[in-house]
Amino acid sequence: MSVTFGKVISLILTERFGPIVSSVGSFLFKSQSSPLLFITRGVDLPLSNIKASLCVLIKYGLVTFKPNKNEKLANYHLESEKVLLMLRYPKYQNLAKIQFGDESAMIIEEILQRGYWTASQLILKVHERLSTNNVNPPTLTHIKDKLVYLITSKYLERLPSPDITKAVPSLIIQENELHVLPKIDIKNLVAYQENNSVTLPDANIYWTVNFDRFHQDMRDHIIVNAFENKFDAQAGEIIKLFLRQMYVRTEPWADVSNPIPSIEIKDILKRQSHQTHALAFFDQYMSIIEQDNSRLLRKVGEASGGSYQIYLKEAFTQFAWELVEQTVLAKYNSKAARIFRLVKEKPYIEPDRIQQLAMIPAKDAKKLSYQLYEENFLHIQELRKTSSNNGPTKNFTLFHIQLENVVRMLLELCYKVQFNHITRRNYERELNKRIIDKKQRVDTILMGMRAQGATEEQLADIEEMITPPEKEVLENIEKMMKQLSLVELEIDDTIFMLKMFIVYN
Amino acid sequence: MGETIEDIESRLLDLARLQPEGISNKDLKQQLPDVPLTDLTGVINKFLKNGTLELFRTKEDLFYKFKDPSKKTAAKGSDNEEKVVYKIIEEAGNKGIWIRDIRFKSNLNMTQLNKVLKSLETKKIIKAVKSVSASKKKVYMLYDLEPDSTVTGGAWYQDQDFESEFVDVLCQQSHRFLVQRLEDATKQGGGPLIIQKRSYATATEVQKYISDLGISKVALSITDIESILYTVVLDNNAERTVASNGKFMYKAISRFLPPPGLVKTSCGICVIEDKCASTGSVNPNICPYITDWLNDS
Ligand code: SF4
Repeated sequence: MSVTFGKVISLILTERFGPIVSSVGSFLFKSQSSPLLFITRGVDLPLSNIKASLCVLIKYGLVTFKPNKNEKLANYHLESEKVLLMLRYPKYQNLAKIQFGDESAMIIEEILQRGYWTASQLILKVHERLSTNNVNPPTLTHIKDKLVYLITSKYLERLPSPDITKAVPSLIIQENELHVLPKIDIKNLVAYQENNSVTLPDANIYWTVNFDRFHQDMRDHIIVNAFENKFDAQAGEIIKLFLRQMYVRTEPWADVSNPIPSIEIKDILKRQSHQTHALAFFDQYMSIIEQDNSRLLRKVGEASGGSYQIYLKEAFTQFAWELVEQTVLAKYNSKAARIFRLVKEKPYIEPDRIQQLAMIPAKDAKKLSYQLYEENFLHIQELRKTSSNNGPTKNFTLFHIQLENVVRMLLELCYKVQFNHITRRNYERELNKRIIDKKQRVDTILMGMRAQGATEEQLADIEEMITPPEKEVLENIEKMMKQLSLVELEIDDTIFMLKMFIVYN
Repeated sequence: MGETIEDIESRLLDLARLQPEGISNKDLKQQLPDVPLTDLTGVINKFLKNGTLELFRTKEDLFYKFKDPSKKTAAKGSDNEEKVVYKIIEEAGNKGIWIRDIRFKSNLNMTQLNKVLKSLETKKIIKAVKSVSASKKKVYMLYDLEPDSTVTGGAWYQDQDFESEFVDVLCQQSHRFLVQRLEDATKQGGGPLIIQKRSYATATEVQKYISDLGISKVALSITDIESILYTVVLDNNAERTVASNGKFMYKAISRFLPPPGLVKTSCGICVIEDKCASTGSVNPNICPYITDWLNDS
């Protein structure tokens, strides 16, 4: 865990929970795991603040605890990777929205905001939100069905409950309870809507988001998009179906899928009326995908049209290569990218050969190779060889690439970029604090006046308190903030891709 | 008899070779009685002129001595050191030899060797050729040899300078040709397999396209085109497969991924990123690169 990573974590915690929680989080990040006593010594805050911070962090699953050796004290540990995932929250919501609609997105949103919640409360809240300004709100049953679907398809999972017989409670849950539907009576919910004192039967059953399930979807999206880019939309559609059928018989995170009969895919295509092209040329698509140099889909059996295996680990290795190549291309130039790919194709290549094969002038080739070496994209293997007749010792320099090292380096770079962007965002906000605050005050006044039924004229008067130059500044800041958050999500895509490589390796 | 001048020449040379210490006018007349005197004098004069024979005079007679043409000028007026160096350079052939290697082989010191090389060079017996494999490296070879293409670099070099722009243009054009071919094939349709088959091209086809374009002053060989196409493959713009007849086939391809988010920001491609921190003179708060990037996009 690098220093940069720690800095990003601290910024994210500050942004979401404020400086107090952040300082407790940062201390835990540095100490790895520590009991309350150590935290009070390391963080200059009153005990009550530290306890409250730990509560918040535990609630969101960002801190976990374990009893120490004598089982009397708890050691707290920061789940730093999960803190980083907070930057991805908008994506989880969006994924839910695209795949299952607005209600599901809202369910996810509500849980992410709270850390966990009961099913009844979730349904009621989403219903309430969708009923405002909506003449035709969805029914409670409809929302319940959506929730049930999210649970059965494992996007949500049940929070373990504490075993409080011990000094340090441990959280336990039976595997088979993780995705069991709670009993929810709609009548009971309706009664509750009228009278808050009605007890809800599932008051102690909490649900939280299973990020892993979303990551699986994200992974599949990447693969499908990649096939669309490389081949075409139909090929993408075919691979999508393969992935879908893969789950029937394969662990979701297996390196290679179990054989999938192509006839199953064909059958599904037959039932989809809009996929006539993919169906008509199904066999041809299979053969070009299978014969492509990437070899991500390989035939394993001939029976009934053949069975195929998807090479997931291999896919993300190839994606990682491409990602690095594109980075070299953007950071340096096309010649550097060419050299990088040449060294990839021919590991342990001599500098002389690089210039020859890449067709780059000797001087440039040398300069670029050593630059790539200095910045850790290329690695060097030295060979010493003494020529026979007491001549000088000759040193052979051979270039090669350790992909995993490069991937880890780029991951670090991503953290740094996130850190820089968040820092800049905070700075710009601080710089224009006066105007932003003024705008907020004006907005509050406006809202109050509107509620009291003020005339348009009166409202316009208040609005004019923001001068045109101020307005311009505000617009600029808004644009900037939007852009920074957008790119934050895109960097997170890169992080996800690099992480996938590491997970599979 | 119908003996041609060439026949006479070779017979004469054979005789001269047999008597390395020299052959006299008298001997010649005896050995070649059937050759008309006029022809014989003609041939001898020609050989004297081009240096195949050398003329010696003793008190009573003239001798002709045979001289190996490859060694013809070395001996003339040169001392032992020159002979040694000459031999070393001669052995290196048209690939040439590097001065350091001459020094090791000849055991001469640098000043001596430089003197010898200078002298041989002014006499136009040897020449120095700049090698493309290293910009400051010179190799020596016999004066009238044509340097090997590993020394000159072949079609891509003009006076030992790599013609970078020329190569770049060829790469672009070859890529364009492949892309065009793919587009045409896609337009024609007929299913993915046929499209794929039609989008393949061989180096010969690319060679023809390039020569029709008229952008190259020199004729490019198939090997030249193959190396150009290999760079297109290295740029991940094409793929290369081996056809059933053992020849390479090329086809334009697309990548799996669009450019990653990382490279869309100034920080992701920043070259002074390692000098940048939250404090210090290079920091994200005031960084002009971020400012430009925010304003541009
Ligand atoms: S903040 Fe500026 S100097 Fe620092 S990494 Fe980003 S672009 Fe480079």
